[in-house]
Amino acid sequence: MATRDNHVREGKILILATETCAYPGADSVGQAHSSYAANTYILRVRSPVLFPEQFYLDCFKKGISGIIIMSCGEECPYEGAYKALAKRVDRTYQLMKAQNLEIRRLRLTAICTVCNRAFLNEVNQMNEVVRELGPPAIGHGA
Amino acid sequence: MSSETKIETNPEKIGVYICYCGGNISDHVDVEAVRDRAEKIPGVSVARTNMFMCSDPGQELIMEDLRDGVVDRVVVASCAPSLHEMTFRSAIYRAGKNPYIYEHANIREHVSWVHHGEKATDKATLLVAAATAKAGLLKPLEPIRMEARRHATVIGGGVAGLRAAKDLADRGIDVVLIEKSPFLGGQTAQLDRIAPTGDRAADLISDLAGQVLQDDSIAVHTCASVEKFEGYVGNFKLGVKKQSAQTNAQQILAQLKPSGKKPGEFIPFAGLYPWPPPASDEKFSVETGVIVLATGFKSYAPYHGEYGYGELKEVITLPKLIRILAENNTAGSCLKIDGRNIRHLAMIHCVGSRKIPGVHPEDESGNLNEYCSRTCCSATLNTANIIRETYPETQVFEFYRDIRTYGRGQEELYEQASRNKVIFLRFEAQDSPEVSKNSDSDDFPLRVKVRDALTFGEDVEAPVDLVVLVTGMEPNNVSELVDMMKIPVGADRFLLEIHPKLRPVELSVAGILLAGTCQAPMDIGETCTGASAGAVKAAALLARGYVELDPFVAEVDLHTCNGTGACVEACLNEGALNLVEMKIDGKKVKRAQVAPAFCLGCGACVAVCPENAIDINGWTLKQYEAMVDMIVSDDVVA
Amino acid sequence: MDSVQKLYFDALVIGGGIAGLQAALDLADQDFKVAVVERDTSIGGKMIRLSKVFPTLDCSSCITTPKMAAAAHHDNITIFTYCKLNSLDRNGKDLTASVTQHPRYVDPDNCIGCRQCEYSCPIYVADEEEGGFSARKAIYIPFSNAIPQIASMDVENCILCGKCQKVCPTAAIDYFQKPEDFIISAKTAILATGFELTPLENKQQYGSGKIPNVITSLQAERLLAPHGPYNRVLRPSDGMEPDSIAYIQCAGSRDKSMGISYCSRVCCMYAIKQAMLLSGSLPLVDITIYYMDIRAFGKGYEQFYQNAKAMGIEFVKGKVAAIDEGENGSVALHYEDQYRGGVVTKNHDLVVLSLGMIPDWKPEGICPISAASDGFIQTVRPKIAPTRTDMKGVFVAGAAAGPKDIVDSIAEAGAAAMEAAKYLVEINRDRAA
Repeated sequence: MATRDNHVREGKILILATETCAYPGADSVGQAHSSYAANTYILRVRSPVLFPEQFYLDCFKKGISGIIIMSCGEECPYEGAYKALAKRVDRTYQLMKAQNLEIRRLRLTAICTVCNRAFLNEVNQMNEVVRELGPPAIGHGA
Repeated sequence: MSSETKIETNPEKIGVYICYCGGNISDHVDVEAVRDRAEKIPGVSVARTNMFMCSDPGQELIMEDLRDGVVDRVVVASCAPSLHEMTFRSAIYRAGKNPYIYEHANIREHVSWVHHGEKATDKATLLVAAATAKAGLLKPLEPIRMEARRHATVIGGGVAGLRAAKDLADRGIDVVLIEKSPFLGGQTAQLDRIAPTGDRAADLISDLAGQVLQDDSIAVHTCASVEKFEGYVGNFKLGVKKQSAQTNAQQILAQLKPSGKKPGEFIPFAGLYPWPPPASDEKFSVETGVIVLATGFKSYAPYHGEYGYGELKEVITLPKLIRILAENNTAGSCLKIDGRNIRHLAMIHCVGSRKIPGVHPEDESGNLNEYCSRTCCSATLNTANIIRETYPETQVFEFYRDIRTYGRGQEELYEQASRNKVIFLRFEAQDSPEVSKNSDSDDFPLRVKVRDALTFGEDVEAPVDLVVLVTGMEPNNVSELVDMMKIPVGADRFLLEIHPKLRPVELSVAGILLAGTCQAPMDIGETCTGASAGAVKAAALLARGYVELDPFVAEVDLHTCNGTGACVEACLNEGALNLVEMKIDGKKVKRAQVAPAFCLGCGACVAVCPENAIDINGWTLKQYEAMVDMIVSDDVVA
Repeated sequence: MDSVQKLYFDALVIGGGIAGLQAALDLADQDFKVAVVERDTSIGGKMIRLSKVFPTLDCSSCITTPKMAAAAHHDNITIFTYCKLNSLDRNGKDLTASVTQHPRYVDPDNCIGCRQCEYSCPIYVADEEEGGFSARKAIYIPFSNAIPQIASMDVENCILCGKCQKVCPTAAIDYFQKPEDFIISAKTAILATGFELTPLENKQQYGSGKIPNVITSLQAERLLAPHGPYNRVLRPSDGMEPDSIAYIQCAGSRDKSMGISYCSRVCCMYAIKQAMLLSGSLPLVDITIYYMDIRAFGKGYEQFYQNAKAMGIEFVKGKVAAIDEGENGSVALHYEDQYRGGVVTKNHDLVVLSLGMIPDWKPEGICPISAASDGFIQTVRPKIAPTRTDMKGVFVAGAAAGPKDIVDSIAEAGAAAMEAAKYLVEINRDRAA
């Protein structure tokens, strides 16, 4: 094992991945052994419509630097959930703005079970955002 | 299931089991380091590693700890959950514990195969830590089990309804079949010889309806319709009304006399007439486990003036021509209708089908049938062949856009038509043929003009004696059923399945299934296939006498709920959440109540509750919050 | 002599494609015990190899894998992959199937699907799963979402270097594995043996598969798949991004010169779908579909076709008479112009042949069941019991009974399962009586 270097604390990215689409999509990236940044934490969700606006704000307050909601998009197994989700994300953006949080830290996207490239793109883009913005600081702008 | 029972949780006894996967994980993740760190996480009582956690010895490790009472929550860190989550849940079950006390950490596909070195080890640790945080909040769950009545109701007595009813009865399920008209056989009765097999509609209906009528486990009700609906999968209750004064009953009786037919026989172009309508109106109710919708289609009725229909008496529809041909007894080398020789006959395809927005006008109700009706090409060619082979002096012109003889034996009909010297003229959607009175001196009453794409866009005129409009299919109007049962309808107005491939005969209302042309245009064989596919789903639902559903449904904490109703409003499946009056601590209050049979477990309600009083069992918001706390924590990997 | 193992089931499904899996699931959900015998090393059939599916444009893998997993995890379903059906006969009330398990040279109980063997193998072979556009190893898991995730050795290409054996963490490699014969006894069977594409070699006018940059529709599926061989759409001969692509419809259907007079039902729709996907990945590409009749007859299909037209995909009515090699890797295509008359020649960078379907399996010599003149399994009551064959208790589903799209195959699988379930109830009742 390499010795532990004093690396700069890396911003963490939370990924909410739907169990029918994006989560197996991330598995597929793994099967392809496509490397991506390790600051990504994938949580399996039935549908991201479960999370209230406050959940996202709390995550940023706790120190999460970026959140990617990887939904099923139009292939969502729950009719109407994607629409409700999209609206909630919009409201979350309003709340983020009110707290001077850069809205690019939160992204809603759709990833299919074999969308390897799309998955990697999303992770890379969010990493660029997180690198540019640094850790979130609620109320102090970022 | 009772939400009142407090399930004992002991967050001190989480077992963590980390897999090497024979190097697949351990080559990039320091598995022993993860174990050492996991052991220190609050609540973790034991952390172990194994070369192959999924192997029998690996599973035995977990089962032994459970049996010994060393652990009461299990976290396995290994490959993707799609591969082995079930394996470990069933190991827990075999150890005599509830399989839902399990959480999976995916440290192969999501870690060791995509990250390397220290970062991989740190990430694996955090994912394990997050899993333990969730595991500490897991409670045992039981699948939701609902008794299901071993009984099916089929609505519609056409071939789809008959096929489904007979299938279910043969499978040992009692069936009630409800048919609106006094006849069995539906639209098939409007046919004669059926393409491409040459079967007689009368024989098919007599065979199928005969089997249904002879089956003791099928109760057939004609002149009947459903007017009340309540309940859920396994336990529906229908109110049925049987009408005596069927508008067409008199007409039918009148028809019976001259034909010499008796009840129980097949009447051409009406159907099998099992018995007369009831003497007076009757009402009864049916308790049933599943409902099969076989409400069928109706033939498209051309609007007044469409290709001269209604204005020119020599313009008729294909169903009308089929009937004329079947009832026509006049022999001869030329088809004769009403004493008139039909020397030239024009068939115009796609009437009421394949309409294009912007090219074709909508009907009065704003509908435009954009779909292909699937069956008409073969029906037309079949009719053309019958005419050409029976009346060789009757020339047939077909005005078409594409010939869609896709099915087995259908391409042969097309070839046969060419051999029979049927003349084909092809038009583009925007260049529909024009039908007009023939002002020329010849004695053909009509002429059809078209820009023929087969002869390089030449304008062609055909003088004809008869124009036949090849009308497509439209779904029957079942708006009352749709409203009552809350069934989704597609833009084409046919009933809408959940997913054309994943769940093609199921509707979003559990326990209601589709059969035949209420879903989309189909020919008779396809209709029977669709009906049997619907029936097999019904049979599977009723196979065990109960329906078991995932326990991942919403649950209300009645003590924090204050009855705002926000969840009810946000709910995506009507009926899953209701505000009901109840007594809590002696006070009458309104509280949200979950109907587990309807709940999809999506969590739309969770996000909107101002009191955080509702959550999804097995996937709670608190569990997610606890997982995030672990992910941001620096202590775990320190 | 070793006694041959005999396994008992209620129902036997031949073929683990989408029709076979659906039929198996519909029977297993009624608590019948089902065996699925699949010839390939993975279940999933043709569908798992597709990119996206019409008319919803769902990703095919996302629709197939849940059914594959449901069948694989079902308590009442046992799946036998990489097996050959030697015979299927009736023995009184039972059906007896003689089956041979091909050796994988990998112990399936020990293999954990980690692919270490695959990574260490030094041999590269053209990967037929990727249309031959990329390479695989001589020991490999056929594709990423295969079920089961067990490696198989391709002994034709293996050089016995022993590297896989060295790296395998579970000592699963077994160079001495032998074929194993076993018997499946069941009361009813469903044939879901599917289709294959009409062979290119039979059509000289279309170059018999020898003209560069003329590809088959299944190869095009792989080019378009999100996890396909190049990760983008390229022309195979030189890696050029094509500016103009042509589809030739009825290449191997409605074509008496190839002995295939029937319509293959799916080619119009898949060509339209591929054209739409191509315009998505190559926004500037011109796509022309040469056709005789567009047969968009299923639910939502006509609307899909009209959308494609509105997107600018060009539809030219005319049967392509011949194609040959053009300049700089292009393909020259000769057809009769319907509007101006005369034979016209046009060049395209890439040509896709919309190949039709022929049966993938013939009962001859294996099973006393009839095939019709089109080669597909004969059905005896096509109108009111469409899945019945002329062998009692044996039913047919999907493309085994004639070309069919996925939607129709799935419906037919359900219907065949219904017939099989009824048959099981009937003979069980007879036995009890």
